[in-house]
Amino acid sequence: MTAPKSKELSRRGFIKCLSASAMAGATLKFTAGPAAASEAAAGQSWGTLIDLTRCTGCESCVLACKQNNRLPNPEITATQLDSDAYTCLEKRKTGPIQIHYVKRQCMHCLHPACVSACTVGALRKTAAGPVVYDDSKCIGCRYCQYACPFGVPTFDWESPLGLIHKCQFCQARLDQGQKPACAEACPNGALRCGRREELLAQARAQIISNPGRYVDHIYGEHEAGGTSMLYLSAIPFAELGFPELGSEPIPQKAENVMAQTPLIALTVAAVASSLAWFLQRREKLAQLSIAVKDHQEDQA
Amino acid sequence: MTTLIAKPEKTVSLSITAGSIVLSSLVLLTLLGVLAGLARLVLGLGATTGLNDGYSWGIWIGFDFVLIAFSGAGFTMAAIAHVLRLHRFEPAVRPAILAGLMGYTTVLVLLLLDLGRPDRFYHFLLYWNLHSPLFEISLCILFYSTVLAIETAPFLLERLKWPKLVRFLQKFMMVVAITGVTLSSLHQSTLGTLYLNMPHRLDPLWYSPALPLLFFVSSIMAGLSMAMLAYYVAASILGQKVKAEVLHGLAAGAAWVTLLYILLKLGEFAVAGELPALFSFDSMSQLMWLELGLGAVAPFLLWLIPAIRRHRMGQWLTPGLILFGVLFNRFSATLLAQTPPAGTPPYSAHILEWLSTLGIIAGAALAWYIAVRWLVIFEDTGKAGRHA
Repeated sequence: MTAPKSKELSRRGFIKCLSASAMAGATLKFTAGPAAASEAAAGQSWGTLIDLTRCTGCESCVLACKQNNRLPNPEITATQLDSDAYTCLEKRKTGPIQIHYVKRQCMHCLHPACVSACTVGALRKTAAGPVVYDDSKCIGCRYCQYACPFGVPTFDWESPLGLIHKCQFCQARLDQGQKPACAEACPNGALRCGRREELLAQARAQIISNPGRYVDHIYGEHEAGGTSMLYLSAIPFAELGFPELGSEPIPQKAENVMAQTPLIALTVAAVASSLAWFLQRREKLAQLSIAVKDHQEDQA
Repeated sequence: MTTLIAKPEKTVSLSITAGSIVLSSLVLLTLLGVLAGLARLVLGLGATTGLNDGYSWGIWIGFDFVLIAFSGAGFTMAAIAHVLRLHRFEPAVRPAILAGLMGYTTVLVLLLLDLGRPDRFYHFLLYWNLHSPLFEISLCILFYSTVLAIETAPFLLERLKWPKLVRFLQKFMMVVAITGVTLSSLHQSTLGTLYLNMPHRLDPLWYSPALPLLFFVSSIMAGLSMAMLAYYVAASILGQKVKAEVLHGLAAGAAWVTLLYILLKLGEFAVAGELPALFSFDSMSQLMWLELGLGAVAPFLLWLIPAIRRHRMGQWLTPGLILFGVLFNRFSATLLAQTPPAGTPPYSAHILEWLSTLGIIAGAALAWYIAVRWLVIFEDTGKAGRHA
């Protein structure tokens, strides 16, 4: 345990030292990467268990979300995420009469790729669970839209000064001890907010005690390294349009490479400098030997 | 009427006409581009682009990444001159560095158009995210543009006849060049790292943990090809004779680096078990063959044939195809080989996106032309430049 920890510390110290900036040091603390979020903390963070078998498609959650976030057209529901809808209900026909409703919103990943990708650190994973967005920092580069495996962040295309929009897990309400607006509005008990660890245990118990009701899969338990939003479903998640993702956190590979930045910079600079110095010296020596030769010939 | 007057000096007047047609169309394109850019700033991205939430990067970002690779000419030639000290390539250094400066300026303008909040472009200096490839790229591009400006300064100072300042700057040129090479190695490779955050979107034939290395190597082959082109065009504008051995040397460099790229790419396909996908000849496989076959394997094989590489026109096949290949590679990674979330409408670039892109590139070409005419581009022949 001790060895990797000290290695991690020394790497951080190294980066800090090179960037020679207090600001960089401060940012490092704020931008939680996969290494920063520990399993125990993730278990205690907030999550929501979404039981798709209980959803009747009443859309109360969508309207409550719009009202709570003061989004335009609070009386009109949404079937896809956009800058005016942080959650939506997708209607999926899987048979002649079978209709499934799928509530979509930010998954609040444990290792969010959007947070890792954001150029200016406008997105942040809080210890309590929510992935929050600071619209005063955002420059609208839209890299988060590419990094997110769930297609969640949306952009306000109509405004000349467009920004990103996404569900923030009603962070302010959570802080006050309230449920997120969508979970509170659901009349069917399809949305249950709680500690992630407890929700996972409840979900597992539900699958076992209701044979045939659910597929044996809690979507979000392992997907992309785990998400705060967890889903239960009666049919395989792929049929409902959920992306099939491995358990590796999306930003892992890029962060591994980015951590090498100081090393790459130093290596390139050192190799180029020594090569240039050596070749220049060889040139000078060659010129000198020619000059000496000429001088000797002159004397002779 | 024009033909009657032009008859006695047919060749001269013809070349002037061709040149002025090119120049006036560049001016026209630039003006249209400025108008298109203004329209975007006033009306917003929704009204002036074909972008949507699934395809939120379009041809602006595509051309940005292409131009950064092509502008690799600057750091590649700076490395050849100041690090490897291959003095026989000296004539091709200044046109390439100038092209690099224009390329990066274009990139900055296009990025500014693409940002949702162009008014906050400086935020990456205030709010750092060391995990973000795009943060590193932004910072490197800013610093490297400064390096290019310093590297270009002597071209102007020599014309202004300020030898003291030139000598002062030359003292630091090696350090500046090595800084530029370091910054370029970082951001050219980080442009590959950028895509490592998109395993769910980018086709496996393009997605690879080796992307940083592949992007770095391909920026060198594009850079050398671009340097050939910049040298040839600059010499033609100034009425100078092109040194064949310079072109041949650069083509040889580009060809061998391309071979390295092909081997890396094939090795990656083999290790990742993607050879069946490569030979499946579905749309993604065809796209990869177009890029890798026509844009890398073909130029290398053509270069191996002495009759072609020594031919006056044939020698352009290798750099031309390499540039085509790198252009396709960057566009595939950004657009063509991407799978957006289900339900995303297709993206087709708005006419204003094309006009602004072409206009800004035309403006950069025009600026490069004027700089070649007015600055000292060929060190030993400043006078010949004025004659032309």
